[in-house]
Amino acid sequence: MHIPDGFLANRIAVLLNVVSAGSVFFAARRHSYDAAARAIPLMGVLSAFVFAAQLLNFPVFGGTSGHLVGGALLGILLGPIAGFLCMATVVIAQALFMQDGGLVALGANIFNIGAVPVFSGYAVHRLLARERKTGMRAVTAGFAAGWISMMLPAVSCSLQLSISNAIPLAVGLPAMAGYHAIIGIAEGGLTAAVISFLARVRPELLKEGASVRIGIADWAGALLLVAVPFGIFVLGAGSDLPDPLETVLEAVLGPAGERGTATVMPASGRLLEYMGLAVFIIGVMAAAWLAVRLGRGHGHRQ
Amino acid sequence: MKHGFLDRYSNLDSPLHGLEARTKILGFTALVSAVLLIPPGAGWNFFVFFLLTAILIGVSQIPPAYVLGRTLLILPFVLLAGLAAALGGEQATQRLLTLLMRAFLCLGFLVLMTNTTGFAELLRGLRRLGCPRVIVMNLGFLYRYLFVLLDEVLRMRQARDCRRVGRGPAAAELKVLGSMLGSLLLRSFERGERTYQAMLARGYAHDFPVMRPGRFTWRDPVFLVAVTAFICLAFGWKP
Repeated sequence: MHIPDGFLANRIAVLLNVVSAGSVFFAARRHSYDAAARAIPLMGVLSAFVFAAQLLNFPVFGGTSGHLVGGALLGILLGPIAGFLCMATVVIAQALFMQDGGLVALGANIFNIGAVPVFSGYAVHRLLARERKTGMRAVTAGFAAGWISMMLPAVSCSLQLSISNAIPLAVGLPAMAGYHAIIGIAEGGLTAAVISFLARVRPELLKEGASVRIGIADWAGALLLVAVPFGIFVLGAGSDLPDPLETVLEAVLGPAGERGTATVMPASGRLLEYMGLAVFIIGVMAAAWLAVRLGRGHGHRQ
Repeated sequence: MKHGFLDRYSNLDSPLHGLEARTKILGFTALVSAVLLIPPGAGWNFFVFFLLTAILIGVSQIPPAYVLGRTLLILPFVLLAGLAAALGGEQATQRLLTLLMRAFLCLGFLVLMTNTTGFAELLRGLRRLGCPRVIVMNLGFLYRYLFVLLDEVLRMRQARDCRRVGRGPAAAELKVLGSMLGSLLLRSFERGERTYQAMLARGYAHDFPVMRPGRFTWRDPVFLVAVTAFICLAFGWKP
């Protein structure tokens, strides 16, 4: 689900970076009004919880295993603003620690894995459970919220990839939506199980989350956050919009045909030539390694 | 228990490690953006960027096998795109090849950036470049709590595995796992509260000190100018 760099068209990646940066800044501002500074260490520990909880695997069907992704759970427990900030942190950390998801694709990943599941999970739980935070109804709503919070990101991710001309919708949507419909059952079940556990052991924790007040501005903001990118996807799907970055590049350096494209690379054939180039690249790498190594004499700073 | 899969090679000593965090964030972001602008099928451009990646990996002293291992992350997307290319023709294969090379190069630059910079330095670089304080602090806390919570999870898993034989019905498994996650959540909450009280008692002032002072040296402008010159030459110069 974490989209690497190179798979998204530049206009989609730039658009989603703008959207995500905007929503992170907005949420950070809004959150610092809402919560005392003590909430920051608490959010940090919950982000780490999301990371650690992914180690607990749960077998789903035939060899695949699911684990808690946590978007819906955080949305329900902390409210959408703090939940979104936690998930955004997790996505950034996954890109920086584990190179899971690209650098320019970070905005798209924050949107898909942070904003969409937290806001949709929160909204679904709120609609189904109303004000209740404990009892059978809240647990069932938790299941629905968990399942939806896996499905919508899969759909949004496959839409982005198909508009970017990387993976056609006919291949991407069935594969991703199908896989996540199954994984979503585990996510929903775990979200419901955690909610029922907390209701049994520590009901006041759930009530605390209920006291987060969401004003009309937040709902409008959330709606815009979802509506604007999807609207642009739908509009941009058919037409062949010019790429903003490539337009700039062409203005500076001249049309694409004249710069650097003299040696168009055939997809097949010339195998020996490619192998030669690969050997040359590896040789240069070894030479650079050796030069630094010899220039220093020792490897570790410690 | 054994950890250490995060910024693993950030304590090596190389010219790249010596650069300031902000320089590396800006430089590598510029390189990634440049890679994403290479027109499809421009073999020469891809070749020079691969050469640069190879040189930087060599200079950074990070084992190339590690970088290669990290690139396996893009495999699911590659499989899906490959399936699509198999349905298309020669044009689709060409597109797939461009896609793969772009993804590979960008991942290489990302691995280089994060593994030549300690995490605390990286965070301070982000903060100085204008990233919101909530996010940077959150990342810092995440990094510090992660290993403690991972230990907790591994101990809980071990305890569960000791107490059961085989697997029960799915519903029972789900209930057990839900309780485990719930108590992990509670313990995390409580640990967060306790730690925060202790930090306040010790004079915590909403900032973390870092080991290496973040000062620009003559190397930093040299690196940035070199990166800019490289990108301009790679796009503007025909062989």
